[in-house]
Amino acid sequence: MTRYLLRRTFGAVIVMWAVATLVFFMIRLVPGDPIGAILFDAGDAQAVEDLRRSMGLDQAVWVQYGLWFWNLFQGDLGASIYGSRVPVSQLLAEALPRTLSLAFLSFLLAVAIAVPAGLIAATKRNSGWDTSVTFVAFLGLSMPDFWLGILLIILFAATLQWLPAVGYMPLSEGFWPWLEHLILPSIAVGTAFSAIIARMIRSAMLEVLNTDYMRVARSKGLPTRVLILRHALPNALIPVITVIGIAFALLMAGAVVVENVFAIKGLGRMLIQGILHRDYPVVQGAILVVSAIFVFSNLLVDLLYSAVDPRIRYD
Amino acid sequence: MVRKTPSTESQIDEGVARELREAYDFDRRDPLFGLSRAQLSGPRLERRSVLRLLAAAGTLGAWHLLPGPLGAVAPAKAQSGGTLRCGWSGVGEIVTLDPAQINQVLQFQIASNVLSGLTHINAQLIAEGDLAESWEVSEDGLAWTFKLREGVTFHNGDPFTADDVLFTYARSKDPQQSIHSRTLSNVQALDKLDDHRVRFTLAQPQASFLVKTLERSSGRAMTIVSRGALESMGTSDYGLRPVGTGPFRVVRHQLGQSVFLERFEDYYDPERPKLDAVEILPILDAEPLAAAMEAGDIQLIGGNPVAGELVDRFVENPDLVVDETPLPGFQSVWINPWHEAMKVTDFDKPLEELMQEPGFKVRMALAKALDRETYIAQAHFGRGTPAFGSVNPAMGYYFDGELAEQSSQTYDVEAAQALLAEAGYPGGEGFPKLRLLTMPVNRRESLVVANILGRNLGIEVEVQTKDFPVLIEDFDRMDWDLVRLGSGGDYDPDDALQDWMSTASKFNGRLRDTAVHPFGFFSEARVDELSAEQSATADLDQRREMVVEANRITSDKVASAFLYHPSDVLVHARSVTFPAESRIPGLVDLDRVTLS
Repeated sequence: MTRYLLRRTFGAVIVMWAVATLVFFMIRLVPGDPIGAILFDAGDAQAVEDLRRSMGLDQAVWVQYGLWFWNLFQGDLGASIYGSRVPVSQLLAEALPRTLSLAFLSFLLAVAIAVPAGLIAATKRNSGWDTSVTFVAFLGLSMPDFWLGILLIILFAATLQWLPAVGYMPLSEGFWPWLEHLILPSIAVGTAFSAIIARMIRSAMLEVLNTDYMRVARSKGLPTRVLILRHALPNALIPVITVIGIAFALLMAGAVVVENVFAIKGLGRMLIQGILHRDYPVVQGAILVVSAIFVFSNLLVDLLYSAVDPRIRYD
Repeated sequence: MVRKTPSTESQIDEGVARELREAYDFDRRDPLFGLSRAQLSGPRLERRSVLRLLAAAGTLGAWHLLPGPLGAVAPAKAQSGGTLRCGWSGVGEIVTLDPAQINQVLQFQIASNVLSGLTHINAQLIAEGDLAESWEVSEDGLAWTFKLREGVTFHNGDPFTADDVLFTYARSKDPQQSIHSRTLSNVQALDKLDDHRVRFTLAQPQASFLVKTLERSSGRAMTIVSRGALESMGTSDYGLRPVGTGPFRVVRHQLGQSVFLERFEDYYDPERPKLDAVEILPILDAEPLAAAMEAGDIQLIGGNPVAGELVDRFVENPDLVVDETPLPGFQSVWINPWHEAMKVTDFDKPLEELMQEPGFKVRMALAKALDRETYIAQAHFGRGTPAFGSVNPAMGYYFDGELAEQSSQTYDVEAAQALLAEAGYPGGEGFPKLRLLTMPVNRRESLVVANILGRNLGIEVEVQTKDFPVLIEDFDRMDWDLVRLGSGGDYDPDDALQDWMSTASKFNGRLRDTAVHPFGFFSEARVDELSAEQSATADLDQRREMVVEANRITSDKVASAFLYHPSDVLVHARSVTFPAESRIPGLVDLDRVTLS
């Protein structure tokens, strides 16, 4: 197991390096001049070149890469090239808790809705329950999250005034302020994922419920609750865990539209703004973190396989 | 409720009109602009003196801000305390509050509440002493001596002295540290006389010195920064949480989330600020901004101009107050003179000669086909004024009110179609498809432009949205057909002519290949000459003549297809009392704002 973990961690580092390197060169291939944009109304061509030089952006790309990698090796992700040139590590430290909070609550909500919905749909196949769950799931899948977000804002913030429309409160400001700012965005993000997971649980459960060992268990007269929760569900979880793992990684970096709607500057929004502004250090730093999240989520999922299915061993 | 500030000539009160006339009544060669030294000395300029200086500086156009019948609004209710939550429109994060790096209005709107200058204009555009207690000017108008307030402290407890003025000057003068070094180009020297007295020596008399160079917000070059805080915090941290001597101090700045300001207890005016705290949330999207306002999550909107589609909605909301006033600036559709179908390689030719060139005919056709009234109605829900030049109505004396009727760009669809036909494209037949570059935020407006041109001329205009860094790079390199772009915060003819219309303009194809493109989007010798001369002349009538002539040339020779002059819309909850004395276009000064 230890060897497996070491091997996977080493592989993860290689993947992260490859992604970061690819992004480093690709972002520089994208058209757009950040220095020209900074000095749009404040400098002539000479001023633009001077600033470019002072930021080292006039050097050959491979020299810039070497410098960036050397600094990265020393734990320095560089600084944003806009405004006050805030260190990327500081930007990440501020954005990550927001994204983690949103992802965690969305994930919790998605699982809380999806598991019972999926189980009900599977165990009561072709019933009204099944049809309702399927209908709601498709509705959730079909609704763009930003649109759902705006609807939620209009209903719960503007009309009923139960919850705040925008913004984020750190947990340090209190549990309720933190939670009330995240309820609507979590619903907006979590709904689609709950639909995906519910559909996944339904199909996985249906497959398991039709296996021979389940028929034997049923013929032995085991109670339905034990049958479902003890024998069927754990065996149906493998594909579900795979989807949940990917979903969680996507939630961490992919909630950018909802972050915009609710004015929460998380990792996704930081990355998108970095790309829009051609803020190279920010994009590189954010991509590094996103790739780490994906790689380690996958690793966690693989480890969870062995936890839910004893037949899977990583020796 | 909507409170609209009148802006048409017919609405000018006679008393105000008389004041305006008197403002220009002085010897044009007088370095003190017809005022005595005593009248020019501070701590507070009299109304007449300010009007005179504004006239000399070319900023008197903001007459609509004057008190009296035009600007009369109920005084603020004296209710102190409370926390005001503001939404900053159309922005994802406030990337800096360091005056040396600020390059957006929405940034200095906040900085103006945190940092001080030697002077600050009030809502009547009167230059008041901010950190300057009083000042004197020499007979030749070149030496300005300022007595600084004593007992003022920075937010970190450091005392404010003349050394801070010198430090700020040295920092701002250095282009490596500040992007505003050009603002100080007329300042030859700054000397410390003692701990609380400094003297500026100018290269030539400058009417806008008090109200622009030393002004704490829009000037930004002499917005006083704390040396101690800069050294201890570093520029990055200082940029997020600047330490100044202003009415509020930055307690917290979570980039992209919120800026939290708290009342500075030791502010030099014990009566201000009224509020205990201000929280500013950057909100990028229009709909969440509106919902936050309607839900009461925020009580005031600052930042970028509120999206046009929201304004009527806010006007109809009885809980909100919408206050409109003209915003100095212009927006244009720029036409690339190096594009084969619109080619003009020499704008110096007389207009009659240019009118014989197919490329110029096409340019003129595009400009004449722009139905600006329809554009403003469809793209901006009726808010704005048709533009025919870069000199905007807020410049008052310099604004050419007859240009709309007399410009060769005046809307005439039949003439436009005839010109296009003469250029070889009858009904738009055979005319190449044009790319209209625009930023994502201006996409809808640009589609209106494309639609108008397509409908009126039978040509195809494809709107291409580009991120700002890409659009600017393309614009700087002259790699475009049409561009929808413009300017804001233009109070002086220099902002309109020198900055945009001269061959040496910083926007005029800054990164172009000069071997291929000898100039950028426009170059006209007479405009260059007039632009330079008007900037240096003290004779107001002469200056106006030059400005008007230059503006007319740019209009007639289609430097761009001028589109519209925007409006400034302030939206706040009825529970917020935003006193008229704080209503300065472009700024959101919160030190006198109260909550009820």
